[in-house]
Amino acid sequence: MTVATSASSAAVSHPPIDPASLRDKVAIRNLEFYYGQSKALKSITLPLYENKVTAFIGPSGCGKSTLLRVLNRMYDLYPNQHAEGQVQFDGINIVEPGLDLNLLRARIGMVFQKPTPFPMSIYENIAFGIRLYEKLPKRELDQRVEDALRRAALWDEVKDKLNANGLSLSGGQQQRLCIARTVAVRPEVILFDEPCSALDPISTAKIEELIHELKMDYTIVIVTHNMQQAARVSDFTAFMYLGELIEFGPTDKIFTSPSDRRTQDYITGRFG
Amino acid sequence: MDTAIYKARRRRNVAAAAASYGATGVGLAGLALILVELFWQGFSGLSLAVFTQMTPPPGSAGGLLNAIVGSLIMTLIAILIGTPIGMLAGTYMAEYGRHDKVTSVVRFINDILLSAPSIVVGLFIYEVMVVPMGHFSGIAGAVALSVIVIPVVVRTTEDMLMLVPNTLREAAASIGLPRSLMIRHIAYRAARSGIITGVLLAVARISGETAPLLFTALNNQFYSHNLNAPMSSLPVVIFQFALSPYEDWQKLAWSGALIITISVLALSITARALAGTRKSS
Repeated sequence: MTVATSASSAAVSHPPIDPASLRDKVAIRNLEFYYGQSKALKSITLPLYENKVTAFIGPSGCGKSTLLRVLNRMYDLYPNQHAEGQVQFDGINIVEPGLDLNLLRARIGMVFQKPTPFPMSIYENIAFGIRLYEKLPKRELDQRVEDALRRAALWDEVKDKLNANGLSLSGGQQQRLCIARTVAVRPEVILFDEPCSALDPISTAKIEELIHELKMDYTIVIVTHNMQQAARVSDFTAFMYLGELIEFGPTDKIFTSPSDRRTQDYITGRFG
Repeated sequence: MDTAIYKARRRRNVAAAAASYGATGVGLAGLALILVELFWQGFSGLSLAVFTQMTPPPGSAGGLLNAIVGSLIMTLIAILIGTPIGMLAGTYMAEYGRHDKVTSVVRFINDILLSAPSIVVGLFIYEVMVVPMGHFSGIAGAVALSVIVIPVVVRTTEDMLMLVPNTLREAAASIGLPRSLMIRHIAYRAARSGIITGVLLAVARISGETAPLLFTALNNQFYSHNLNAPMSSLPVVIFQFALSPYEDWQKLAWSGALIITISVLALSITARALAGTRKSS
């Protein structure tokens, strides 16, 4: 119950957004995506604003996860998937071939549906990513690991067992470990792919709180099946349906006075 | 309610269960008879001399030291050759070429190699190594054994890497980890106990092989660790001594068989224990 109250108070506290303060961090234009021959995203155009949380909502199979996985080119791990169009990030179109994907992914991090700690110690889970791009003396590295774990609100729970295996933590702790791992690399954008769907309500509330704090420093995109969650954590919401972007706007507006009939039907639970 | 259908089904069920138990019993009884006989005959001939003396001429005292050392040397070299090749091939199949046609071709050929009669492997190495070299040698024996090791390690490496969930690969990619590092630090670590199990099973598999060694390392009456000369091994000595008419040779053959059996048993138990830790972790 406390979860519901604290979360709904978070939703109420959305401050009005000053349009002049919005800066595009990522600009998606006319993006199309194909699984083999079948088109999964149809001409998506959408801004992702800096230091804001943007939620992608929609029924299963609408393409919201697909869209998220375009943003860090995760689809490149698999054959027969390709994107066309533009995703402008810092002056480059990230769907163009020839881009260094590892450098891109270091700048656009991702947290997954199921917690995915690496099969190594809690400390190593975090330090591993840092060492990829920075050579730090031991003390600084320790500090960075601690900072990342603090950012993910996990430090107090694990500070005495940093050498324990990451897999020994509970599901909610593992997910926060994954957030810490992502944060430690110091990305600019963090993508969350249904980060709470495998977690209990208390862990969910913790993660939502974290997302709220993380947007001070990062641009955040979250895919969620849970409309209350979208309403609680996001500043902007994009409603997708059958591979199309139906409606995009400030979360308050999408949830209180959507302009498209399909959006209204979905958020009132008539389908999906 | 008509219970006739139910009763008929129950009768069939009981009959099927009885047949299953019976078949299991026959299989286990055979195994038990072999083991009891082996332990009975093997232990009675077992003494310190078996481990410290060379294979004797008929009628005099001796042991199996040269054969044990030869087996250890050739097995070790076979594993050292076979494991890297097998692991690299398995890694290619699971990590780089998972969707390639060449992978399915290699997998098919590997499966054939996996079940190829080991005597064919012996003949193959005889042709490509023993004939050109002009004599039997320990290294030819080791290479023949490594040909048996490779498909086992390829198979387990591929299988174990396939069990590593894709979500873990995606998570590694999501922090900008290049694939080569992901394989070394994440996939191998997640699959480690499974791959080690595969290597141990390969050791178990080759430690009893006789046919490939008959054509390659042959045998040596004397202690030798010269890889360029014929080398003795437990399976070949057992083969030779067990078929001989001399009772003391037959006794040594039993002891040798016992040593191999216990080693393989120990390896299998270790492999199972490792596999168990993988599941529970």
